[in-house]
Amino acid sequence: MQKPIIRLEHVCKTLISKSNEGIIENTILPDLSFNIEQGEFTAITGPSGSGKTTLLYLMGGLDKPSSGKIFLNDWEISQMNEDELAVIRNDKLGFVYQFHFLLPEFSALENVMIPMLARGKFGQKQAKERAKALLSQVGLYEKLSSKPNQLSGGQQQRVAIARSLANEPVVLLADEPTGNLDSHNSALIYDLFKRLNEENGQSIIIVTHDEHFASKTDRILHLLDGRIDKDQVLHN
Amino acid sequence: MVKVKFNYTIGNISLRQLTYRKRQTILTISGISLGVMVLISAISLMDGLLQSFIDKIVNIAPHIVISGEKIKTTVKDTLYQASGKTYINFIKNVERKDEEIIKNYSRVIYLIQKEKTVNVIAPVVSVNLIAKFGTLSQPLELLGISPELHDKIVKFSDNMISGKFSELERTPDGLIIGTTSASDLSVKMGDKLQIVSNSGGVVTVRIIGVFSTGINDIDNNAYVNLRLAQNLAGYSSDELTNLYLRVTDLSKDAAVARSIEKMINYHAKTWEETAASVISLYKMISVMVYFLVFFVILVAGFGVANVLITNVLEKYRDIAILKSLGFQRNEITWIYLIQGLFVAIIGAVLGCLLALVMIKVLGTIKITPSKTGSIRSDRLQMGMSIWYFIFASSFAIIISLVASIGPSRGASKLNPVEILRGER
Repeated sequence: MQKPIIRLEHVCKTLISKSNEGIIENTILPDLSFNIEQGEFTAITGPSGSGKTTLLYLMGGLDKPSSGKIFLNDWEISQMNEDELAVIRNDKLGFVYQFHFLLPEFSALENVMIPMLARGKFGQKQAKERAKALLSQVGLYEKLSSKPNQLSGGQQQRVAIARSLANEPVVLLADEPTGNLDSHNSALIYDLFKRLNEENGQSIIIVTHDEHFASKTDRILHLLDGRIDKDQVLHN
Repeated sequence: MVKVKFNYTIGNISLRQLTYRKRQTILTISGISLGVMVLISAISLMDGLLQSFIDKIVNIAPHIVISGEKIKTTVKDTLYQASGKTYINFIKNVERKDEEIIKNYSRVIYLIQKEKTVNVIAPVVSVNLIAKFGTLSQPLELLGISPELHDKIVKFSDNMISGKFSELERTPDGLIIGTTSASDLSVKMGDKLQIVSNSGGVVTVRIIGVFSTGINDIDNNAYVNLRLAQNLAGYSSDELTNLYLRVTDLSKDAAVARSIEKMINYHAKTWEETAASVISLYKMISVMVYFLVFFVILVAGFGVANVLITNVLEKYRDIAILKSLGFQRNEITWIYLIQGLFVAIIGAVLGCLLALVMIKVLGTIKITPSKTGSIRSDRLQMGMSIWYFIFASSFAIIISLVASIGPSRGASKLNPVEILRGER
């Protein structure tokens, strides 16, 4: 059997916030353990406040657990410092957020190239070719030189997806990627994820509260108060 | 694994952000360049003023002036103790105030000649008398000189407007007058003046020349033959008020003056000592001007900080996304430091160019010469040195860099999770 790409062992996340009444400790994830397998298309669902976004950021190396271990392939990312995590995020992970978060000063093509050039994984020329290929894969070959503000919401999100694939990530992490889009564009984005998963074997983890969207994935992890309420495998 | 890598992408992101906000960037660059320009122009103006003053003084003032004032050893305290006993010093209460005259001057010259670095020694009799012309009468400082020697001291013949300086040698009743005194008495070449001598007698002299040095103190004077001045002052032919010296090495004039003082027991003042009060006044004004201009650049520095702070504040989301895409802390810091540096360097270069123009323009402005100031000039004297530019530019760049550090580090410390979740 294949090794899991992401492995969580007793992960706990407690947020500490200071307020007038003193220090408030808020445990978002009490104790989580699960694996994500290579090539899986997983949806993390749950009501707001159930800790699904926190979980995604932990898996994406943007945040650190209060206790427990998180492995990405064989790297224990819960042990790494900020700069090491930055390298892992660049090289091994792809992110798509609810808002596209493209850099407004750069064209679609340049936005996709930036992660490739950031740590010098690809040369300038190679990066350009790859970015063109990725953008045509998301159906935006015509819009290479457009600035983000010249693109529609759906198009911007597709550029963001192309950017997340820039460095051939081990896993693509998406946080409510259709939360800001109409149903037509949501469907387009969904189809794109599905195609990436089926054709390229891309592992994808999506946080969503869109039940319809979630039902089309391979596996649904339903969170409730930071615990796994249901772990459904839908297709195989 | 952790490397501080400065690469093309960081520079690219940095400058793109800067050029995206054109108006603000241009305003900030203008602020810095104006600051640099004002600083350089002010330095040039103050330096030029002081330099032209010193140049004129050096040209027109003798290197060392020996006066008739005797060096007296002063008793510090009337009561003093030595070998266990207390002594009382008595100073003669009624002391004749000697006229400050150098007596037996050929002997003094003989002594000074032992100092090998002294090139020229010229005798001078300076006396304050009343000059009359028609109904006008006016105090006039007469300097009795030996023209040939005096010319070697200060190249005086260069200052002549009309007449010849050397004529004085052969004209016992000749007088060469400075432009200021000439206009006060409204006299011109060839006019006859009457001088009232110390003994009350009246001597008639003829104006055989007019000079202008640009220094009012000197243009108030008139020159006559040494012998005539001695007569008017009532001195004998071996008495003088001053000796003017020229030395081979101007930078060592103070040492020469001190050693001469020891030899002859008369006070010897260098030109710096004579002009010390004016020079220190200039320097004080310069310091004040520099101080004010420093604030101009300081304000420009706040402009840089402002640009960076707004850039960082408006770019919270971009900074978060750059971090999530794998840019490290140091690299985020660089993105904003480069912006600060870029603005500062462009501003400094523009400021230097503007200052070049400014110095040229200021240098051509005609000003009405003042009669009361210490020097007269018909235009502003501007100094010029590469150091003005180096100093002003590096000052502006350092201030901007200091102003950039705070916002840049602030940006690098942002927590991307808070921003991506919309908490900030």
